[in-house]
Amino acid sequence: MDALVSQLETPRSQQELYNSEEEQEQLALSLSPSLKFALPPIAQSQAWLRAMTDDYSNPNCPIKIAHGTTTLAFRFQGGIIVCTDSRATAGNWIASQTVKKVIEINSSLLGTMAGGAADCQYWLAYLGMQCRLHELRSKRRITVAAASKILANLVYSYKGMGLSMGTMCAGVTPQEGPALYYIDSDGTRLAGNLFCVGSGQTFAYGVLDAEYRYDLTDEEALELGRRSILAAMHRDAYSGGFINLYHVKESGWVKHGFNDMNPIFWKTKLGKGEFSNVTADLN
Amino acid sequence: MASGYDRALSVFSPDGHVFQVEYALEAVKRGTCAVAVKGGSIVVLGCEKRSAMKLQDTRITPSKICLVDNHVALAFAGLNADARILVDKARLEAQSHRLTVEDAVSIEYITKYVASVQQRYTQSGGVRPFGISTLIVGFDPNDKTPRLYQTEPSGIYSAWKANAIGRSSKTVREFLERNHKPDMDREETIKLTVKSLLEVVQTGAKNIEIAIMAPGMGIEMLPVEDIEKYVESINTEKQEEAATRRPGGGRAAAGGAGAATIPTRPAGESAE
Amino acid sequence: MEVLLGITGKDFTIICASKAAMRGATILKASDDKTRNLNKHNLMAYSGEAGDTTQFAEYVQANVQLYSMRSGTHLGPDAVANFVRGEVAKALRSRRPYNVNLLLGGVDPTTGKPSLYWCDYLAALAKLPYAAHGYAQYYCLSILDKHHHPDIELDQGLKILRMCTDELKRRLPIDFKGVLVKIITKDGIREHDYVDDKQILPA
Repeated sequence: MDALVSQLETPRSQQELYNSEEEQEQLALSLSPSLKFALPPIAQSQAWLRAMTDDYSNPNCPIKIAHGTTTLAFRFQGGIIVCTDSRATAGNWIASQTVKKVIEINSSLLGTMAGGAADCQYWLAYLGMQCRLHELRSKRRITVAAASKILANLVYSYKGMGLSMGTMCAGVTPQEGPALYYIDSDGTRLAGNLFCVGSGQTFAYGVLDAEYRYDLTDEEALELGRRSILAAMHRDAYSGGFINLYHVKESGWVKHGFNDMNPIFWKTKLGKGEFSNVTADLN
Repeated sequence: MASGYDRALSVFSPDGHVFQVEYALEAVKRGTCAVAVKGGSIVVLGCEKRSAMKLQDTRITPSKICLVDNHVALAFAGLNADARILVDKARLEAQSHRLTVEDAVSIEYITKYVASVQQRYTQSGGVRPFGISTLIVGFDPNDKTPRLYQTEPSGIYSAWKANAIGRSSKTVREFLERNHKPDMDREETIKLTVKSLLEVVQTGAKNIEIAIMAPGMGIEMLPVEDIEKYVESINTEKQEEAATRRPGGGRAAAGGAGAATIPTRPAGESAE
Repeated sequence: MEVLLGITGKDFTIICASKAAMRGATILKASDDKTRNLNKHNLMAYSGEAGDTTQFAEYVQANVQLYSMRSGTHLGPDAVANFVRGEVAKALRSRRPYNVNLLLGGVDPTTGKPSLYWCDYLAALAKLPYAAHGYAQYYCLSILDKHHHPDIELDQGLKILRMCTDELKRRLPIDFKGVLVKIITKDGIREHDYVDDKQILPA
């Protein structure tokens, strides 16, 4: 049994799955998750990383990682709505207001970014590459299940080394229909109907959960996505900027704009009388 | 004749041959015959089984037909021991694929994998190519289309409606070419498989193995009694056919009774 | 606050796991399945560190299936349990252990005998008539101590399970979103339609 088991080694590092050398070599070319990163010469990389980057426990930390986001995605009768804010913060500093937090993996697959901006950007781009390779090799579009699993296995292989990501993969494929997965840097991977991720998730959940139904019309769903993100952008200091809205349909995704939150906020407030805690009276 | 170019594997002969790979094909030709036939909704594998020796325990002697995953079966011709290694690699890959992309392998994928392993053993030093050809059959996950592929020692793979590998495969393939019809039902498909194997297996049901794959069902090994029934019905059919033909044409009588109905097999086991 | 429960009876094993998937202060999913079929007659339920749990479960699942593929036979419940324990133990002494707690429910298809193994992240393995992980232990083991007998029928087993889940709903401070119930018999593993919508309040 031992001998048999040792063949299929622990999946946390893909290379160990194969024992003979030539297979490793082939694997390195095909599905190797890690693009041979140099690690810092430190025994406890996570602890070191925290000491260097944790703004909360040490305001004078030398590296301030871009964090803080609100992203949301939900499945409904007409497909999937994906919506994000666009703010990147490094500590208290707003590093950018025009970040594209939706990654277009291919014409029917989207990924969202929350957590470390660099981690998300890099690994989702890497995922895009793997998806394309899968497509070329197998002559068919990768399923959302498979794509999300590639990412989950990847981040799991770096578990404990300081990756910080909370992402969603949304897509429509002929095999599975509209599919939505949540993946985070703990290695969690969940299929579901509705997820909000990021520092503003609670605010978005509040609005979204209250009015979410599976049989929303396309217009209702788009508006609900927009409004939920707006709620989070309004209340969460680390979310803001522009509302990035996508609708994933059977024919592929459609972008519904990258719009400044401010006019939308004021339209919502003045037109509908919401946000009544904010005064519009300037005297 | 090969003048030294068959020594090292990774050396071409001046006219572009890799002799070791061609010798591997010879090993395949000496292996017992394996047949695969696609029907309308099933796919059938048939194998010639070596006669067991008196003291051999046939129940636990490994078969030439093996399961790579629940939905993929593989039959081979050539060196048994080589096949074991290759099948084991394929099984590992099938499980590994499930683990990493959550889906079972498609038949094309696992064929490509098997072929790429075989190819790898034609291009590196210190190794010997696999002396086997394989027939890989099954159904893709959530799909009802029967699939059939063949791989060769060189690493070539190809898709077929029906095919044979191993000893006298040419005879069997020609027989299949003449008798294969699209969209055969279960009975017809099994019968064609048995019939094609009888072209090269003289000893009947006890030297034949039949496996059937249907969508979402896993492998079904046909019991010997059932194979016997097919063999019997084929034999009676042949006799009847011979009987009806004999009074009409004097030609058949000249050709000999046995060869009257299915004049396929050339005399002796000529190499192809 | 993940709940894992297992109960054996005359010819069955019940495995029950909470349906909530929590991350921080958020319940991300209320229909999570914390179990994996290892083969036709063996089910593993897991709790513990996020990521480790599913990775470990799927890894073990693939290996058990690979074993069947290669050997043409199925591993029995005892073999599966000891193999799984071995894997936890091996990882425990590696650079990065799996932080998982497990329940392994099975039925031996030849003898028809049910079995239940309890295994924690330190690779302690125990064969038990009934078992639990996490806070469920504190509430349910006493109930099971009182009401369980080795030769109970399935409906009796489900009645005891109901007592356990009701108590958990009554006293656990966090909502675990109900439980998923799976039953293993000699015919295989099936999901049980466990009606779980009644509100239960402390007296």
